[in-house]
Amino acid sequence: MADRILFRFWTIMDYEEEEQFLREQHQKGWRFKRYLLPGFYFFDRCTPEDVVYRMDFDQAGTGEKPGYLQLYRDYGWEYLFDVNSFSYFRKPADIIEDDLEIFSDNESRLEMIRRIYRRRMIPLMIIFLCCVVPQLIIQSNNWLDRGDVGARAFTLIFLVFFMLYVWLFVHCGRKIRRLRQKYERDV
Amino acid sequence: MQDRIKRIYVPMTETGFYILFCLQNEMHGYNIGQRVKQMTGGAVTISPGTMYGTLSKMEKDGLIRFVREEEKRKLYVMTELGREVLEIELHRIERLYKNSKGEYADGR
Repeated sequence: MADRILFRFWTIMDYEEEEQFLREQHQKGWRFKRYLLPGFYFFDRCTPEDVVYRMDFDQAGTGEKPGYLQLYRDYGWEYLFDVNSFSYFRKPADIIEDDLEIFSDNESRLEMIRRIYRRRMIPLMIIFLCCVVPQLIIQSNNWLDRGDVGARAFTLIFLVFFMLYVWLFVHCGRKIRRLRQKYERDV
Repeated sequence: MQDRIKRIYVPMTETGFYILFCLQNEMHGYNIGQRVKQMTGGAVTISPGTMYGTLSKMEKDGLIRFVREEEKRKLYVMTELGREVLEIELHRIERLYKNSKGEYADGR
């Protein structure tokens, strides 16, 4: 088990906040151990230290992982694990500033945003359009036609899904735009 | 296809240029990073995520090729296409340099 469990909600586009959050916890003496589930953090007590956390999204192809992790290790990064296709790394911050980044130009930061968009956002949109929306229409028609309990329950369930997805798309869309603006300004 | 690659890669980014320049000899990612840091006196650094992404992309585009593996580290070397791209880029840089020093092609 862990010395402390925390819950914090974050979406796939909030990785910079996530890195900052883990760094702040470590500065307070809580070393990130693992997730129970994404969002549920296990921390261990440790001596407060400034340790930088970085996340890279799904860069290594199949079978390329050992070489990929070796490269990060050579650069002095400790590899933690992969969650949600994000690879987690950390490194003590007492080295010169440049070495604390995993990307040295904005083009590769933008490339990571594109990867997240292609491999996460587009599949989610497909599920939304091909499953959530048609189901909501079918179930609400059933409710209107027959009015049975099952149809009502399913309509409400898919309505909740529908709203969750819409919220997620709006939130992530805004984040993507903000991140792009930030990194395109001085490419 | 090859002309398209040349158009995409020239002018090169600093990261791209230094990686290709180093890969005139067999090297692995971390080696390249260290070498570039020494060559430029620390002015250019290439972090691991950028290094990995650029190497993968250049390999896919045929500018460099995988040679062998040494303790999980992949060694690459420049291909013929890579050499051509580097040469075009070097001529471009030379022209920029000469022009900036007041040396012009028409002699005026």
